Amino acid sequence: MSVDVGPRPTLAQQLVRRKPIKLQRGPHDGPDLKRSFGTFQLMMFGVGATVGTGIFFVLQEAVPDSGPAVIISFLVAGLGAGLSALCYAEVASAIPVSGSTYSYAYHALGELVAMVIAACVLLEYGVSSAAVAVGWSGYFNELLDNLFGFSLPDALSYSPIPYEDNTTGIINLPAVVLVTMCMVLLIRGASESARVNTVMVLIKLGVLLMFVVIGLTAWNGDHFDGFWDKGAAGISAAAATIFFSFIGLDAVSTAGEEVRDPQKALPRAIMGALGVVVTVYVLVAIAGLSAQPASEFSDPEQQDAGLSVILENVTGHAAWGTVLAAGAVISIFSVTLVTLYGQTRILFAIGRDGMLPEKFSSVSPRTLTPTFNTIVVAIVVALIGGFVPADYLWDTVSIGTLMAFIVVALGVLVLRRTQPDLERPFRVPLFPITPLLTIAVCIYILSGLAAVTWVIFGGWLLVVLAFYFLWGRRHAALNCGVEITES
Amino acid sequence: MTIVVGHPTRTHDRAAISLGAMLARSIGTDLLVVSVVPAPWPTLVAGNVDKEFAAWSRETGAAAVADAERVLAEVAADLQARAVAVPGRSVPTALLEQAAGVDAGLVVVGSAEDGAWQRVGLGSTADHLLHAAHVPVAVAPRGFATHAVPRFDRATCAFRADRASSDVLRRTTEICAAAGAEVRIATFGVLGKTMYPPEIRGEQDVLDSFVEQSEAALRDAAAATGLRDVEHVVATGRDWAEAVGRLEWRHDDILVLGSSPRGVLARVFIGSHASRIIRHSPVPVVVVPES
Repeated sequence: MSVDVGPRPTLAQQLVRRKPIKLQRGPHDGPDLKRSFGTFQLMMFGVGATVGTGIFFVLQEAVPDSGPAVIISFLVAGLGAGLSALCYAEVASAIPVSGSTYSYAYHALGELVAMVIAACVLLEYGVSSAAVAVGWSGYFNELLDNLFGFSLPDALSYSPIPYEDNTTGIINLPAVVLVTMCMVLLIRGASESARVNTVMVLIKLGVLLMFVVIGLTAWNGDHFDGFWDKGAAGISAAAATIFFSFIGLDAVSTAGEEVRDPQKALPRAIMGALGVVVTVYVLVAIAGLSAQPASEFSDPEQQDAGLSVILENVTGHAAWGTVLAAGAVISIFSVTLVTLYGQTRILFAIGRDGMLPEKFSSVSPRTLTPTFNTIVVAIVVALIGGFVPADYLWDTVSIGTLMAFIVVALGVLVLRRTQPDLERPFRVPLFPITPLLTIAVCIYILSGLAAVTWVIFGGWLLVVLAFYFLWGRRHAALNCGVEITES
Repeated sequence: MTIVVGHPTRTHDRAAISLGAMLARSIGTDLLVVSVVPAPWPTLVAGNVDKEFAAWSRETGAAAVADAERVLAEVAADLQARAVAVPGRSVPTALLEQAAGVDAGLVVVGSAEDGAWQRVGLGSTADHLLHAAHVPVAVAPRGFATHAVPRFDRATCAFRADRASSDVLRRTTEICAAAGAEVRIATFGVLGKTMYPPEIRGEQDVLDSFVEQSEAALRDAAAATGLRDVEHVVATGRDWAEAVGRLEWRHDDILVLGSSPRGVLARVFIGSHASRIIRHSPVPVVVVPES
């Protein structure tokens, strides 16, 4: 029942047209979002979503770039993430729709920007699910080895693509199995509750604190010599990789609808979560650096399950490493579940808008979940996780997220100008310094990324835009005015 | 096709007989009320213990039959009905044996004693029947009485857009046409739970999409029934109770559900969604094994 309203829009009109905000909601979708969260709970969401995505793996990647100055890199990346989260919060609060950065962009900045953001966010979620699954595989093997004395052969636990002089194999089987398990759970409609989330946060913080305490017992100040040796380039390169481990802080931003008094609670929760996360990360970095010289981080022995291996080297027996590996295996499982879920729902939203084939927004009548979508996502993520080494993945995730954040910060600036009267339950403090600073910090971090990452990102963006111009543009749901109920 | 009604021996729950009578009157058939009593020990035991047990079993059976006949006289005086007591080691197995014996088309039981009033609660007997029966099984809500409603006037068929469900709808339509009752087709959906941490929110989208899809499927299904006016509705809510409660229910309604077969045996196996819908149903439920 396509109701055609007027003539087709010109290309220029279409690229900048915005999806109207549907204020009229059906009777069934009213009060599902209760304003029930306070600052503390919100902060815990931020911590829960952030800690654990990267810290279990990232030191081994970042320290070789920056040396002991990795601590500065953590602070820079944290600053970028915190500022971005503030900008994101303003956009999210001004546009009361459910969804992700993609949905906000479509409502606020137009179709073309939305597609660019979609490309970024798909990278962020899709590739980070794969990267996290690969990291999980390392800790899983470590745990198997410590508990039962055997681990999967290299052929079944490493990807075939070489990265520097890392071990290669045929397929990273544990990563594939993990993604498959998450897929089954998602198809069955499982969801992680707020309570499970809290437990996961405690597990993650618990094992990280254990690492800090034990790592500090092996304190050796000499390891911090030559702090600035790698210079600014090293710091920004490490920050770019590390940025990956701050993804998820924006979980706080999107929860604005559920928060009592967002103007106060949102910045406090974002800053609180950021404070906790940065503190934990910097402590982990200090503990790791104090326990072993920076040069040892690139040791192939620590290629996976890095933190666990450091603990074993420090204490001299496997028990502590085992505890840490167990904590990592449990909590990273939940991280994979959540990121995979995020990916399916973003594709679902794009499918609902008509920019992807309808199959992506079809719901199985039996399970009430988007089965087709979930299977496609899981297959792609499993292929990436199974065959690409994580080293290539982290930077790709970072670039996607950073670009998305830059667009969001631009969005704040643009919206203040084009729609000054829009009601904004939350406004960025210190406008316009905050969004400008966000863009500056993000660009600085981006400058540290390797050329190959830019090529991958550019290629991916081209693919998405090509698909949009060749297919999505003609099928967009807005073409046939059904959705339009202008407020 | 006779209707077999399971009548309890201990409690005087008349809900099952009431429902059996209503259904029998609607589709024009007779009733066989079965009370299952404990089977006596097959070998002799010293001291006549076994005989005492057998005598007690017979007495219990006779009392149950008398009780059933009293209820039948009240609610099913216009129907051809008889009550029997049969020995058996398991109530559902004995009921199914009796059903097979008379080639019954339907087995009716009551709700669990601890279920909520006016709601369907699956007790152990009903649960076993739903998993093992080759024939449709009807479950009466607790306290169901048919003084006001001699016949059912409308059947709500819970519909899921797949082939098995279409089959159930077809059979429901046939029976309703014979019984002169309306058909309503309903699809139930619930809002998925928020995933924590809440980075992406997409469950409302998923539900909206599901509603659109279901409405299209329902329109097709309604057209396929060949009846002139078939009401069809998608009921959604935050949980199953809300979804089922959102529908308008009349006291002369029944709810018909298909049950998904699993494995190679053509057996009834209730899907988790179906069992949740049943649990919140305020009207009698008929569960049809999907072929």
